[in-house]
Amino acid sequence: MRNYIIYSLFIVCSLATIFSACLGADSVKYQRYYADGSQVYKVHCQNCHMADGQGLAQLIPPLNDSTFLRKNRAKLACYIVYGLNDSIKINGIDYQFAMPAEKHLAPIDLAKVLTYITNSFGNKQGIFDVKEVDQNLNNCQ
Amino acid sequence: MKFNIKSGLPIFLAFIISACNNEPKKLPILGQREPIEKIVDGKTMVDTIYQTIPSFSLMNQDSVMINNDSLSKSIYVADFFFTSCPSICPIMSKNMLSLYNKYEGNEDVKFISHTIDPKHDTIPVLKKYASKLGVSSKQWHFLLGDKETVYKLAKNGYMSFTAEDNKAPGGITHSGYFLLIDKEKRIRGAYDGTDEIQVKQLMEDMDVLLNEYNTKN
Repeated sequence: MRNYIIYSLFIVCSLATIFSACLGADSVKYQRYYADGSQVYKVHCQNCHMADGQGLAQLIPPLNDSTFLRKNRAKLACYIVYGLNDSIKINGIDYQFAMPAEKHLAPIDLAKVLTYITNSFGNKQGIFDVKEVDQNLNNCQ
Repeated sequence: MKFNIKSGLPIFLAFIISACNNEPKKLPILGQREPIEKIVDGKTMVDTIYQTIPSFSLMNQDSVMINNDSLSKSIYVADFFFTSCPSICPIMSKNMLSLYNKYEGNEDVKFISHTIDPKHDTIPVLKKYASKLGVSSKQWHFLLGDKETVYKLAKNGYMSFTAEDNKAPGGITHSGYFLLIDKEKRIRGAYDGTDEIQVKQLMEDMDVLLNEYNTKN
């Protein structure tokens, strides 16, 4: 009986350790993506969308429309790589000026910058994995 | 309480320095200058000719001709940009907008943005850009002119820099300066339009320049 208690305690403890380690790895990955993403943002996005993600008047849209980002999550990578020529509605306002394409960005950089954007400026949507970006890029219209 | 001469001294000095500093601040006059001699009342006097912005006549976003005469009653801030510019222009527009917002409705202050991409930035495009930015054409002119005229104006008039460059994002490279021009068309300041601190300085200098005219009248 005593052994049984010790064994089960041991199993519970080791399970807890493994579980927390996995969680830790996930959050480390998220933090790395987020930190790297902020650098990618600075170089490729900030000139237009500004450091605070607010954009410019009714010319350049802000990046704080969480509903839009969630609804169009699968298209976000395509928007960055191929740019935008159609008007889009952000926070109820039509934005009509074109967004230039950033064709040279690698999927890993896209994943990082999208992790940064979808978790900054009031957004909180978790990690954007590179696998998800790869999949999205295959479905660009 | 005993008066301590040591603690009183700095206050005394500060008082003297501030008393000497009563002259209102003036902005320097930039650009090239050239002394000329002229005869006034039989005496030879030396006067200085300062560099001024060459006269131009360009259309704004409402297809209204804007020239030196239409700007003679106000100081203005000028910059060079193009609407499809992905590099420094949006931040420049943002900073210029903060200046505009401060002086909105003040008829002594105007803003001029010269497009350096006339092929793409036609009058309707400029009109749309201005209205989406939310600014009035009475105070902020987006001016269209052929490439050669505008590039020459930038180089010889505003001492600013623009050139075509296929490697630059958007195909044109240019400096991001805001130039402060007085009513006599002289350059009174040049500021990096992408730098918030310098734009703040420009805001202060605009007040100084406006004050020069207010005290004169």
